[in-house]
Amino acid sequence: MLKHFLIFLLALTGMLICIPSDWLPVNMRLQWADWFGADAYIEPPGSRATPIYSNQVICPEDLPGWRKAQVIEGVSIRATKACIPDNPFTIATAVMGSNRVSPDTLNKSGLTPDAIVKGRDLDGDGDPDEIHIRLEVIELNGGSPEMQEPTTQFSIAPGIKPGLWVFAPKTLGMATENFESNRARALLRLPAPVIRVEQGDTVKITLENTHYMPHTIHFHGVDHAFLDENGEGNDGVPVTSEQALMPGFARTYDLNPRHAGTMYYHCHVQPQVHIMMGLQGMFVVEENRPNNLVQTLNVGAGHVRVPSKSVSEKYHREYDLHYQDIDIDLSNLIQQNNDVRLITEQMHRQYNASQAISDFYTLNGQSFPYTFRESLIVASPNENIKLRVANGGSHGIALHTHGHKTTLTHNDGVPVPEGAQITRDVFWIATSQRADLDLNTNNDGLHSYGDGVWLLHDHEEKGITNNGIGPGGNIGAIVYESFMREDGWPLTFGNSYEQYFSAEYYQRQLPVWHSYSNGFFDEAGPDITHIARVVGYWFFLGLALIQFVYLVKRFGSKI
Amino acid sequence: MNTRHQNLQRISLLFIWMVNAGASAEQVNNHAHHGMHLDNTGMVMNNNMDKLPVECSAISEDHAFTVYANVEYAKSFAGNSFGMSQHHYQVEPCSRITVTFVNQDEVRHQWMVHGLPNYIYPGGMFHLEAAGGKSQTGTFIVPGSDTTYLVHCDMAQHMEKGMKGQLQVGAGDGQLWAIPGVTGSINRDRYSGNKGVNRAALVAALFLLAVLVIYGARLFKKS
Repeated sequence: MLKHFLIFLLALTGMLICIPSDWLPVNMRLQWADWFGADAYIEPPGSRATPIYSNQVICPEDLPGWRKAQVIEGVSIRATKACIPDNPFTIATAVMGSNRVSPDTLNKSGLTPDAIVKGRDLDGDGDPDEIHIRLEVIELNGGSPEMQEPTTQFSIAPGIKPGLWVFAPKTLGMATENFESNRARALLRLPAPVIRVEQGDTVKITLENTHYMPHTIHFHGVDHAFLDENGEGNDGVPVTSEQALMPGFARTYDLNPRHAGTMYYHCHVQPQVHIMMGLQGMFVVEENRPNNLVQTLNVGAGHVRVPSKSVSEKYHREYDLHYQDIDIDLSNLIQQNNDVRLITEQMHRQYNASQAISDFYTLNGQSFPYTFRESLIVASPNENIKLRVANGGSHGIALHTHGHKTTLTHNDGVPVPEGAQITRDVFWIATSQRADLDLNTNNDGLHSYGDGVWLLHDHEEKGITNNGIGPGGNIGAIVYESFMREDGWPLTFGNSYEQYFSAEYYQRQLPVWHSYSNGFFDEAGPDITHIARVVGYWFFLGLALIQFVYLVKRFGSKI
Repeated sequence: MNTRHQNLQRISLLFIWMVNAGASAEQVNNHAHHGMHLDNTGMVMNNNMDKLPVECSAISEDHAFTVYANVEYAKSFAGNSFGMSQHHYQVEPCSRITVTFVNQDEVRHQWMVHGLPNYIYPGGMFHLEAAGGKSQTGTFIVPGSDTTYLVHCDMAQHMEKGMKGQLQVGAGDGQLWAIPGVTGSINRDRYSGNKGVNRAALVAALFLLAVLVIYGARLFKKS
């Protein structure tokens, strides 16, 4: 009897000792402090060791010499500063036509002989006006009945591989780099290639549906007849113009664009899903000039290394900037099942686009830090640089230029009269809108504040994150030549990029300021004292209760 | 869980890494044009009529296969989109195989064999690529050991959605996963079924549970 009473008392004492002091009412604690003094100092938990994280090579060396200015097939390809430059043989083939280059160039381009066929010069001005482009539909980061990771992989940022669909140039051979690799070859990527033709060209675009779902192409803003010469649908819209193109089939669209401008193309089958999966690209119609061989495809957008005659008249450089965003709840659906009936049902019936929330934001198919590898806008003082901006995302973007105010020259391909042109540092570009901006690098305190590394980003702040982790998203930069290092990386004075090139950072595993805060902002470890007290409290409470019940029973029976 | 395919990939990745340190994989892929024929109808890569693998003193047998690629063949395997007429090939070691690949779709397709010896077949592959509506014919000689080789179309998602097969040389060395009509998948698809079926399954389960309870109760009563 006494033994149980003693245990009961002991348990009560233990319980009282263990109660974390912050559980008690503040007034009680203040009164207590008046009588006995403040609580003793308790050492807070120590910092957790920073996890070892994987580093990627920030800027790979340009071993094949693709960054250099070069002449291939008589095409002068400008130098580029990008860490990962476009294949100049693909560029030369895009300019000359895959039917008009040597077998060696074609082989190095990765394209099939019929990928970009250039025909007759219809207006006798020295450049071909019959253009026939073939596009395929490629799934990136798709699922598999046997692999535990995505197939035909394409990373938009370190460790981030959302399922994507893209239009791609017609390539020869495998979809991966080689049999041993699971990575998509360079031509298969987000975004779909920028298509460039000349005003008045007779353009045929054949969609070869190499994908397991039905698709079409709708040419948004590009002049085309509703029906083609054969009376077949030419608008790409299953609701009004044609049946969707089934897997394994091909269809040719006819375009004869009478107006120049920055336009757009996208799949129009279940657009709320198919456009958001990535089936969209920029379509540029250049003004007609003599001997104007335009770069028919700009794979992955970015720097135009063979600008057209008309653009070169007014501008020193030209960049294509394609913005998109990704809802991972949609894009992951292609990785979960392999049965196309299930994938179809989940994407088009279970998934609810009206409740979509975007997780990733891309500029030219990449999110920061990868945007810095490909899509820096490199400038020199006193230049005019043409930025063709298309927003293919589900949200508008508030495009902000640090250090510059740019001038809007065209809206959706239509010129803005000179007196009505607006110069500002944030342009709102709604979904599917295009804006042509004139970036003037004259250091006059208005258009430019001088040389430097100036960010270019969406000021809707979620757009500068990778699933909420910043810096990420569509952050790009305007970098002056004097601030470009030899190795293709900008000369920055902020923090190290190492941690951003690790998958762990974007998986929320690294403290944000770890690389330069000398431990001040490391991740705090667990509060072991507190945990022990909580566990002890519940243990002693239980023990006390058991003893109490036992004592009551014994005492009760004696009475 | 690892598949043979993945193991093979890992081992060969290491090998390729050592051999090609430096050069980009894309270039390696593009420069492998040995025994190559390329035109508007497609491509034949690593065609080999007479070079014998080291284990073979002579060609044991001549085989000829005509394989059709057509989305219609996918209809035999529910849930697939792309198809080919044959998924399993059986030959003796040191056989010479001539494949005629007839593409009846309007998009390009491939018939590729992987894992062949690199000293004859750069990249370890024999590769036929037929443009839409075209056909390609090529010949290769398999080595003398019992091995199962992957046959597939390497366009994105074509293997996953129906265009996968295996070439068994001799007794082979095991089977590959997810060959339509031959072997099963590792990853199981999650079918949601429909309300009627789900309800019927629930009723059946409850009925079986009741049977178990009654049976158990009787058993205990007896003892």
